[in-house]
Amino acid sequence: MRLRGSLVILLAVLLAACASVLGLKRTDPSRPFEHRAHVLRGVACTQCHVGVVSSTHAGPTHEPSTAQCKSCHAKPHDEHTCSACHGEASTRQEAELVHTQLRFDHEKHMAHVHGDCARCHESSASATAISLEPKMATCFGCHEHQGEWNVSKCDGCHVDVAAEGVPPESHVVHDGDFIREHGVRAASESELCATCHDDRSCSKCHGVTVATLPWKLAVGGAPQTTGLHLSGFRSRHSLEARAQPGLCNSCHAEEYCVQCHATMGVAAAPGTPNPHPAGWVSGAGGGQHGMEARVDPMSCAGCHGGAGEQLCIGCHRVGGPGGNPHGPSFTSTKDKLHDLPCRLCHGTGT
Amino acid sequence: MRCKRSASRTLIAALSLLLPTPAHADPSATMRVDGLVDTQQSGGVLVLQGDASHSAVSAEALLWTGGATTTGVVADALVFAIRVREPHGLAELRVGRFLFSSGAILPVQIDGASGIVRAPWGTKVEAVTGVPVTSVGAPTPLYGPQDFEWLVGGRISQVIVSRMTVGVSYVQRRDLDEIVDHQVGADLTAVLRWLDVAARAAYDLTSPGISDALVSGAARAGPFRFEVFAADRSPSRLMPATSLFSVLGDFPSQSVGSSIHWKAAPRLDLWLTGAGQTVGGVYGGNGSARALLKLDDRGAGSLGLEVRRQDVSTARWTGIRATATQPLLRTLRCGAEFELVIPDDPQKGAAWPWGLVSLGWHPSSRWELAGALEAASTPIHDFELNALARFSLFLGSK
Repeated sequence: MRLRGSLVILLAVLLAACASVLGLKRTDPSRPFEHRAHVLRGVACTQCHVGVVSSTHAGPTHEPSTAQCKSCHAKPHDEHTCSACHGEASTRQEAELVHTQLRFDHEKHMAHVHGDCARCHESSASATAISLEPKMATCFGCHEHQGEWNVSKCDGCHVDVAAEGVPPESHVVHDGDFIREHGVRAASESELCATCHDDRSCSKCHGVTVATLPWKLAVGGAPQTTGLHLSGFRSRHSLEARAQPGLCNSCHAEEYCVQCHATMGVAAAPGTPNPHPAGWVSGAGGGQHGMEARVDPMSCAGCHGGAGEQLCIGCHRVGGPGGNPHGPSFTSTKDKLHDLPCRLCHGTGT
Repeated sequence: MRCKRSASRTLIAALSLLLPTPAHADPSATMRVDGLVDTQQSGGVLVLQGDASHSAVSAEALLWTGGATTTGVVADALVFAIRVREPHGLAELRVGRFLFSSGAILPVQIDGASGIVRAPWGTKVEAVTGVPVTSVGAPTPLYGPQDFEWLVGGRISQVIVSRMTVGVSYVQRRDLDEIVDHQVGADLTAVLRWLDVAARAAYDLTSPGISDALVSGAARAGPFRFEVFAADRSPSRLMPATSLFSVLGDFPSQSVGSSIHWKAAPRLDLWLTGAGQTVGGVYGGNGSARALLKLDDRGAGSLGLEVRRQDVSTARWTGIRATATQPLLRTLRCGAEFELVIPDDPQKGAAWPWGLVSLGWHPSSRWELAGALEAASTPIHDFELNALARFSLFLGSK
C-alpha cells in the first residue's frame, strides 16, 4: 500500500514537472485580464480606458492605471501595481507595438461602431484571450483595401511592416521544412516574403559570391536555425561548393579539399594539376570516370558545366576516343548549328 | 573599435547620401558589421551590411572581405542595390547587384535592373535584364571562365479573388549572342480556409523537357499540419550551363513524400517527414523525425533532436543531430550542437562525429561577442579542434 502511494506521488510529481516543462502549466503568475468578467458586470470599456473615445494615432495608449482600478476595487489584496498580476505583459507590449506601428485613430471608429468596442475587439469577450488586437480580416469587414493589397501599398495603415514583425496569418512556410518548402511557396508570393525579408536574406544562400555569411557567423545564436553542414553534407558538398564558390574558402583552406580528395581516392596527390587520380579515364566503359558520370553526373557537372562541356566534347564526338555521344535512333529538336551543345561540334555545318 | 565604428558611420552616411531627403522625410538607416576569425583559416571574414530607406527610395548593401585562399584576400559585394517605388505602389525599379527571384524562374544573382508594374485589379508585370554575376572570390576555374553573357526575363501574374495567385514567367540567357538557357515557367499559390497549395514548374526550351517541378499542399487541423509534396528536379535547374547532360542522359531526381507537424504541447513541436525518391533510375527514400522543446514560453532556450535516414543511390547513411541553447543570464547565452553520421559504406568511414559548444555575450543592443569550440573526426583527421570568435556591431535607427 505504501509503495503504491509512493508511486502515485512520484507519478503526480513527474506529471507536474512534465506539464511545466511542456508549457501545459503556466509558471508566469500573471494571467489574461478579466475583460469578460467586467463586461458581464456592465462595466463599459470607456470607464477604464478613459480618453480612448477621442484618441488618435499620435496620442498615448489608454491602459488603465492602478488608481483607476482602485476607484472600484477599494480593497486591493496587496500593495502591488494591479498590472503586475492582472493582464499579461505580452498583451501590453502588443498594445504598445500596435500603437507605434499602426496608423489608427479610435476617434474615427467610435461613431461607426456606436461605442461597441467588441465589434472589433472580438476576443475581449473571452475569459482567456491573450491578444486583443483585431485581425486584419476584421478591418476588411468594413474597409475595402483590395486595390492597396494588390499593389502592396501597406503604408496607409502600417508604419513599417518589416519593423512591425508580425507575420501574416498565411505565413505557414516556417512551420514545416523551410529549406524544402520555401522555394515553391515563395514562387508566387515573393512579395509576402519581402514584407519581412530583404534581398540579403535570399542572397546569403542563392547568391554567387557568397563567402559573406558562413553559418558559423551565427555562432552563439539559436542553433536550430543554423547548420550548413547538416547530416548528408558530404553527398552534396561538391554541388554546394560549385554553386556557392567562396563559401567553403571562408572557413577551409583549399589544401583541406585537396588532402581529403587524395585520401578518399577521388583525386590525385596534392600538387598534381589534374584533380583526378591516375587511370581516371582508362578501362572499359570509360573506367572510373565513366562509372562516376553514370552514377552521379551532377558531381561532374559541379566542375565541368559551362565551358567544361567543351572538355567532354573533346572526347565524346564522332571519331573521338569517347565515341559518338548520340545513341541509336537519337533525335533532337535543337538547331545543331546554333544551339548548345550541338554547335560545339556541328557549328561548322558538319 | 573606434576605427570600426567610424567606418560603419561613414558607410551609413554614404548610404544616406544616396537618398533624396525632403523636409518631411523620416529616413532610417541600419548597419551591421560582423567579424569572424577561427583557427582553421588563414584570414578572417569581415561582413558589412546595411540598409537605408526614405519615403519611396531605399538602398541595401552587403559587402564582404577576407576568406582564406591561396590567391590572397578577396572581397566582393553580394547585394548593392537601390530600389525606387512609385508612392502608390504601382511601380518599382531596382538597380544594382541583387538576386532576381520570381515565379518559376530560377533565382539568379545579377548586375542589372528589374522593374515591377502593379495594377489595382491584381495584375503584376515584372521584367529583369542584366549580366549574371560570376565568382571572383573562388579560385580560378580550371577550364576558364564563361565568356560574357547576359540575361533577360519576366513574369506576369494575376491575383484571383484574393485567394489565388497565378503567374507565368520566362527567362533567356545568352552567351556569345547564342541562347544557352531558355525557360518558361508557371506558378500558382492558393490559400483556402484550411488548405493551401503551392506549385511551380519550369520547362526547358533549349533541351525540351521539364527542368523543375514542385508542388506542395498543406492542411491544418488543430495542432496538426499535414503536407504532401512532390518534386522533379534536374541538373539544368540546379546549374543552367549543364545542358550537355540533357543530351547524354538527363539526371532525373523525383521525390514524393509527406510531412506532419504536431504541436504536441505549447512548448513541444514534433515533425515527421518521409519521401520516396528516384535518383538516376535507382529507387530509394529518405525520412526524418525531429523534435524541438522550448525551455521557456518565448523559446529563448530550447532542446532539439533530429534523426535522419538517407537511402538512395550512393547516399546511404543514418544521422542524428542534437542541439541545445539556453540563456544563462540576461546577456549571456550558451549553446551546443552535435551531429553523428554513420555511412552504410564502410569505405567511407565508420562514423563522422561533429560537435560545437558556443557562448554568446550580448551586453547591449549595439554589439555582441560570441565564441565557440568545434571538434570533429573527419576522413583526414582522427580528431580536429577549432576555435571561433565573432564580433558583431549594430548601428543605426529605424
